[in-house]
Amino acid sequence: MAITGRDAFLGRVRGALGKSPSAPAPDDATHLGLTPDDVRSAADGVRREMSEQADVLLDAVADSAATAGWKVRRVASPEDAADVVAEICYDAGATKILRSDQEVFNAVPVDAALQALGVTPGIATVGQAGTDVPALKQATFDSDVGITGVDYAIAETGTVVLHPRQGLSRLVSLAPGRHIAILTRGDVLPSLDELFTLERADYNEGAIAGSMNLISGPSRTGDIAATIVDGIHGPFEVHLVIIG
Amino acid sequence: MLPTTDRFKKGAKETLADPVIQMSMEAVYNGFHTKRQSAGADTEGWEDQRDRGRAIKEHTIENLDYYLEMLTDNVDANGGNVFFANDSAAATEYILNLASDRDVKTVIKSKSMVSEEMSLAHEMEAVGIEAVETDLGEYIIQLAGEAPYHIIAPAIHKSQDQVAEMFKQTTGIDPGDTPEELTTTARGMLRETFQRADMSVTGVNFAVAESGSIVLVTNEGNGRMCTSIPRVHVAVMGMEKIVPSMQDLGVMLRILIRSATGQRISSYVTMVNGPRRDEEEDGPEEFHLVIVDNGRMKLLADEKLREALYCLRCGACLNACPVYRKVGGHSYGWVYPGPIGAVVSPVLSGLKQASDLPFASSLCGACREVCPVRIDIPNMLLHLRQQVVEGPPEVRSVGRMERLGWKAWRFGNIKSGRFRRGGKLANRLGRPFARGGMFKRLPPPLSGWTRSRDMPLPAASPFRDRFKKRLAQSSQDSQSSEGES
Repeated sequence: MAITGRDAFLGRVRGALGKSPSAPAPDDATHLGLTPDDVRSAADGVRREMSEQADVLLDAVADSAATAGWKVRRVASPEDAADVVAEICYDAGATKILRSDQEVFNAVPVDAALQALGVTPGIATVGQAGTDVPALKQATFDSDVGITGVDYAIAETGTVVLHPRQGLSRLVSLAPGRHIAILTRGDVLPSLDELFTLERADYNEGAIAGSMNLISGPSRTGDIAATIVDGIHGPFEVHLVIIG
Repeated sequence: MLPTTDRFKKGAKETLADPVIQMSMEAVYNGFHTKRQSAGADTEGWEDQRDRGRAIKEHTIENLDYYLEMLTDNVDANGGNVFFANDSAAATEYILNLASDRDVKTVIKSKSMVSEEMSLAHEMEAVGIEAVETDLGEYIIQLAGEAPYHIIAPAIHKSQDQVAEMFKQTTGIDPGDTPEELTTTARGMLRETFQRADMSVTGVNFAVAESGSIVLVTNEGNGRMCTSIPRVHVAVMGMEKIVPSMQDLGVMLRILIRSATGQRISSYVTMVNGPRRDEEEDGPEEFHLVIVDNGRMKLLADEKLREALYCLRCGACLNACPVYRKVGGHSYGWVYPGPIGAVVSPVLSGLKQASDLPFASSLCGACREVCPVRIDIPNMLLHLRQQVVEGPPEVRSVGRMERLGWKAWRFGNIKSGRFRRGGKLANRLGRPFARGGMFKRLPPPLSGWTRSRDMPLPAASPFRDRFKKRLAQSSQDSQSSEGES
């Protein structure tokens, strides 16, 4: 779009540093020296590890997510996952439920399980009949529960990673009081480092989303009397349903 | 904000006498500091990660022009706008013009220390734009009309009773009195504001040069609200907040968050790569990045102070500092309190006015020990102390009388004869005023010493005289004993 005031500013930076415009010498400290090929093969390595170590990583993330504040449920099949989602909604007394439009719902019959309880979940997309962005926003704020899939989970930190995109609103995992995320086997990364290797590879290939959210537990504050309280702006309760 | 850095001594004295604040500052140590220590101990390769983080910052700052250019090229390529601001006035003007141009009524702010430098919320209110701080701590101090007390816990000095009273006045209803009830009340008030906001202003924890991304770290989720709801998102950053590559983020997030709160990761980390994509469901249509100097160039130009730009604003040095924990955040008189504030505030807001701040430290080194990127704060404080005393007239702030006093001191101590005679003279003159060999109270400028401890009366007979006598005595004794054998 536009860059304003850059030349003069950079001139002052160079003056303060006492240097002329030049690229830095390659440095071991940062990863900038890696070529796109290096990054791609590192990313391939990460994907291999995700699949070869899938069971170990799933166990690890179940532990770390619980530490981070997720209520973790492990189930054997997609059908069981849908039942657990319905059970959570039922226990919460939820009447307004929204879900994203992600692939995971083709395999996990959440809609059917909820309909058996007499609730039909709304789909949190602008494309749904008669909605626009403000209406979508209103719907997410009015809902009791938001249900999404998981792009990646991170074993180190108990994190769920989501890339907002078509079908996955930014607000569906944030504005409702409860968020349920459904994780399937093979999507768990060992640590933050592997996540950023994959992101960088995607960026190099021009396939990066407009934003990325790392979610590690409920919305929290400690700003009143240094007491930790869950649910200040976002969900006060977050559930991770793990299949496998 | 306007600095009141010349009020350090007065502010410190008031805080020391305030039992509510002294009590709440316990939490800084028992909560944050203790958790940070165990987070470090539990992290594999913690010390290596810190070294790595420091190396990344050092490399980036030494090549800051290169990375600023790369960053802004990529923000531009992502469809964002960039504005470089030399000072807070220029940054404020850009944002106010933008707000007026886009017909903005309500702005939601997520925590940003740079915007505190600019008093941005205040400036917006002054032109009739509703500007609401959405970090709960910032919201509380905005209601109180105060500056943040701590970098990551802005309202740490407020008791829950004080917060309840403020909420009651704002809402007109009973907000409850437990932290849980008060948080629920704030949730209700702020969710309503989020929904009608048309612009957001956030800070930046890291900006990634190679991808033009910015990264926000929050626990509350207000950062996510700000990057999801309004039409326009403005991110404001100090010019130093860059890392070269996305792959550098793992280590930086790890050392920042573990040093700040002791968590493995905060509830939310949000990365923004420009405005929303066309096919996306929601998100801001416009993204603006405002890059601010506001005095940082002075830190960059001084090789002894340059590493202050490595600071991640984690607050660990505040929690570790025995001085901060007693004198509190407001005594420092500007946006940044504590050890790092004692370095940064004088340089950014004027050393002459802030000349007490470099002395607000015992130089114990606890800050350097906990700093995730090992900034040598004590050394920089010494450098600034030297500037205060010996620097050029525009920064020097030692008065004529004090300099004269030290000259007299030097004159009296430089020759051993003067020193001896001076001591004897002081003994003779002071004896009538001393009680039990101690002065209980001395006139200014020595009154500062006797306010909290006694000053011994110089000995009637100096050590050197006594030692000489003793030597003579013992050699006599040994001669006489040799004579006996």
